[in-house]
Amino acid sequence: MKLVIGGYAQGKLEFALQRYKEEKWAVFDGRLPSEKQLQELCKQKKKVIIYHFHNWIRERILQEGNPEEEIIAFLGKNPESMIISDEVGNGIVPIDFFEREYRERTGRILVTLANQADEVVRVICGIGQKIK
Amino acid sequence: MMTLIIGGSGSGKSEYAEKYIIELSKNCRKYYIATMQVSDIEAGKKVKRHQNMRKNKGFWTIEQPLSIDEALNQMETSDQKNAALLECISNLTANEMFSGEKIKDGDEVAKKIIQDVKRLSKGLKHLVIVTNNVFEDGMSYDETTMDYIRAMGNINRKLAAIADKVVEVVVGIPVIVKEGK
Repeated sequence: MKLVIGGYAQGKLEFALQRYKEEKWAVFDGRLPSEKQLQELCKQKKKVIIYHFHNWIRERILQEGNPEEEIIAFLGKNPESMIISDEVGNGIVPIDFFEREYRERTGRILVTLANQADEVVRVICGIGQKIK
Repeated sequence: MMTLIIGGSGSGKSEYAEKYIIELSKNCRKYYIATMQVSDIEAGKKVKRHQNMRKNKGFWTIEQPLSIDEALNQMETSDQKNAALLECISNLTANEMFSGEKIKDGDEVAKKIIQDVKRLSKGLKHLVIVTNNVFEDGMSYDETTMDYIRAMGNINRKLAAIADKVVEVVVGIPVIVKEGK
């Protein structure tokens, strides 16, 4: 699994598609693919990019899901995937409980994924720095 | 030796800082200087749990929400055999600014904290400071909060200038910003 992180509007997706252009990717924006889609992608030999991953986490928290377990389960079955996420923790801690929880959980999930990832790249101004 | 460790919420900076100081100060007595003010039962429980976790790792906890250099008075010996992990500058700055009767000016608070940290550092073999990246959410807040953010920026810059090492923690991964000679 590859993890690409960085701030808003830093060119993460563009960077990732350029850097890993030898492989074929299918981009899922803020959601995970369904089983059916995965089977289709398998036939086409395409790998999955989960783009705006932080939006997916936010949505799962709102729906009272368990994003921590769900993403680990997904990556267990699809270990060749790439996760692209904004870094959302670099600001003033919000007064609102939900916003606080969202930021904290997003940060923790990314730490866990970084720990498991084969490669972690941080993108700033469109330029990627490999940090793992 | 002084090390500054910076990261955002949930970046894994605390875990990294703990590992880092344990590695660094094998023959020192290790202190954990806690700045969080316990305001309710929930926070109290959290603090207690963290204290227990750290006890197993050999830390002695000192609660020091204000005037951080006074933590030295609570240490066993002052003969440079001590190492301390100060967590964190964002709480300390908020305490210094907002816990008095009147809100204090950010510049004054920054000056005081930098002085206090310097004094604290002189009494220790190793000081590891955890601070927070509160600068990149692109939001405009009320004037008091903006003053707080500026004070934090000011303090971080001054501490980074005198620190031997500065490390940014990104998704749990240390990225070296400044390396000691």
